[in-house]
Amino acid sequence: MSALSRLPVRLLAFNILLVFLPVAGILFLDTYERHLLGAQERTMSQEGRLLAAALEAGGDLDPVQARAILVKLGQRQLARLRVVDDAGAVLADSALLGPRRPAPEPAASPTPALRVPPQQRLLYLIGSLPFRLLRGAGDQPEDERDLIDADTGTLAGAEVRAALEGRYGAATRVLGDADRTVMLHIAIPIRIDGEVAGAVVVSQSTRRIMSTLYAVRLDVFRVFLASLAVAVVLTLIVATTIARPLARLRQRAGEILDRRGRLTGGFEPSRRRDEIGDLERALAELTRRLEAHLRHTESFAADVAHEFRNPLASIRTATEMALEVEDPEERRRFLEMAQRDVARMERLLSEAREISRIDAHLDEEDRGPVAVEALLGGLVESYRLRSGNGRTRFELEAAGERAMVAGSADRLTQVFDNLLANAASFSPPGGTVVVTLRAAAGQAEVVVADDGPGIPEEHRDRIFARFFSWRPEGPAAEHTGLGLAIVRAIVEGYGGRVSWRPRHPNGSEFVVNLPLASHPARSPAPAGAAEPAARAPLPDAHRDTR
Amino acid sequence: MSGTVAIVEDEKTIRDTVAFALRREGYQVVAYADGAAAWESFQRSLPDLVVLDIIMPRMDGLELLRRIRGQSATLPVIFLTSRDEEFDRVLGLELGGDDYLCKPFSMRELLARVKVLFRRLALAAHPGDDAEQLLEVGRLTLDLRRYTAAWDGSALPLTVTEFMILHALAKRPGHVKTREQLMVEGYPHDTFVSDRTIDSHIKRLRKKFVAIDAGFDRIDTVYGLGYRWAQETA
Repeated sequence: MSALSRLPVRLLAFNILLVFLPVAGILFLDTYERHLLGAQERTMSQEGRLLAAALEAGGDLDPVQARAILVKLGQRQLARLRVVDDAGAVLADSALLGPRRPAPEPAASPTPALRVPPQQRLLYLIGSLPFRLLRGAGDQPEDERDLIDADTGTLAGAEVRAALEGRYGAATRVLGDADRTVMLHIAIPIRIDGEVAGAVVVSQSTRRIMSTLYAVRLDVFRVFLASLAVAVVLTLIVATTIARPLARLRQRAGEILDRRGRLTGGFEPSRRRDEIGDLERALAELTRRLEAHLRHTESFAADVAHEFRNPLASIRTATEMALEVEDPEERRRFLEMAQRDVARMERLLSEAREISRIDAHLDEEDRGPVAVEALLGGLVESYRLRSGNGRTRFELEAAGERAMVAGSADRLTQVFDNLLANAASFSPPGGTVVVTLRAAAGQAEVVVADDGPGIPEEHRDRIFARFFSWRPEGPAAEHTGLGLAIVRAIVEGYGGRVSWRPRHPNGSEFVVNLPLASHPARSPAPAGAAEPAARAPLPDAHRDTR
Repeated sequence: MSGTVAIVEDEKTIRDTVAFALRREGYQVVAYADGAAAWESFQRSLPDLVVLDIIMPRMDGLELLRRIRGQSATLPVIFLTSRDEEFDRVLGLELGGDDYLCKPFSMRELLARVKVLFRRLALAAHPGDDAEQLLEVGRLTLDLRRYTAAWDGSALPLTVTEFMILHALAKRPGHVKTREQLMVEGYPHDTFVSDRTIDSHIKRLRKKFVAIDAGFDRIDTVYGLGYRWAQETA
């Protein structure tokens, strides 16, 4: 039965233990029994002390007077009272004064309906079996016959000897009858003129209280059995509400990959409102993301293969022609073409690798606080140097902003380097590229503006897509179409946003927003803030790349 | 044989190289970097043959072909593709590309295709010539000079590659041709063709036959070996 395997079995064991522990405590540790016996002993010793006090008041231990007092007590007491002298010889015995009056006993027959004493009922015997087995070797009560010296007829038990030595004595003894009734004896010394003149011995059978005890035990055992049944039923219910949906989830998880390791289908999001529902929803989300990621990876691989075919075709045709032409000048021209495309393939390869690395490992890279102004300053300076005598001018407007952004300096350099290179490539001769840095509302905003031709309407939604490249003129082939895709992957990986907007009267503005490292609302939980944006590029990029 | 060939390709190196090679063969060549530029010029005068890239900025190759077909149903078009999954779309009967080559293609292969298409064009203009070049295999008729085929008298719209593969199969009925053999016959000048390409050619060949004759079953797949033109049993 699969519903009872593992988890349900453990639940059942736990539930039964919960029910069993207190019951076992009551039954096994004898708390209740000791309590009852203690109460009985106190009552008996009180009776004994009263009798001893009465005898002491007489000033002399006289059998006649002792008997008279016992008679006066009117046999109303429940216990057997005996008075012995200092040698243990019995002077008076309430048992010899005739039958006891029927005492008003409310607890005499607590369960009159019981035809069989509780301790002899089958249920009791079954329930007490382990206890009897465990207790078999425990301390045994003394034999009742030891109380009376067989030779002299005097009382000589340990409790009597203790009393005659001036101490309190008590003992339990087993009566030699068929029921093995346990008798409780206590002995109180009688002191006359400071000397122990004798003792009062109070004896009472524990049968009455024990039968109460047995009845209680039987009841407790019944309650235990009922609780056990309830525990089993509850466990079965819990098992069906926990273990069965879990088993179903496990089965579905097993089916989700086919034999070749491909994802087939997924989890349906559950409507359950409990933790299992949460688990199902989490698994559904996990497989959905995994699937999106796999699809994205596949389509990226297809895109990369496609992008490689163009330079490869160029190289093939150019080398083919280089082999065919006779003119060394022509041959040189074709070989140079091939060489350019080899370089392009190299660039494509390294950028494709770069973007996969950003996708996979950006979260693991160090994110120290980076001073954006210093970083932009260095970059703009290097572009100025490279651009030579004023082909394109580069300006930085930072207004002394001290914006710190959590990220890798290398990655952030990559972002702005790509944007500057892009702006420079679109900028007309004599044009100006302006980089502006502002920090406000927890965000560092960097705008890279050029006065180039801008971007036609129909391409605007694709400029950040992988392998998309558009140039108003000149060879698009020089550009891999990955530069802006890398910018977006990094910026969104850092919880920021990158967008494009037209610039007036002409040109483009690329706007990068990054959360400031020092901003209290953002920086304590960069992972949480970055998460939705970091996930976003996957499905988006997939959709965009044709 | 000379004529005007248009090369529409956004890759500058490929465009220049193809233009150079075609000129060396004696063709007039016009080159365009994208579909829109080509279409602008085609509206004034159509070339005799077009070599067309599919993925281009500003009007892709498929759109350009659609517009060309609006003007001329017979202008030969050779596609250059860089994506496997585009083949089916390009070579669907409805679009009517005459042939295609997969990047990276062999220049000699391209030149051979251009030559074949020009010959087909020339022979179509002078029907009745060279009737002795017909190969008849049962209900199949292959015109080896025009690179055209007919099944039960109905013309099959085959690309040059498809014709060559069909010819390789039909000239020896009952004999199995391996994919390697079919590759050599289908692409005599190219050595970089994958055997999956042959499978998709066979698939399309069958489709084109079935479009004419729903009960067509002459091309057998011999598992683990290749393909075979089934011998007429009746």
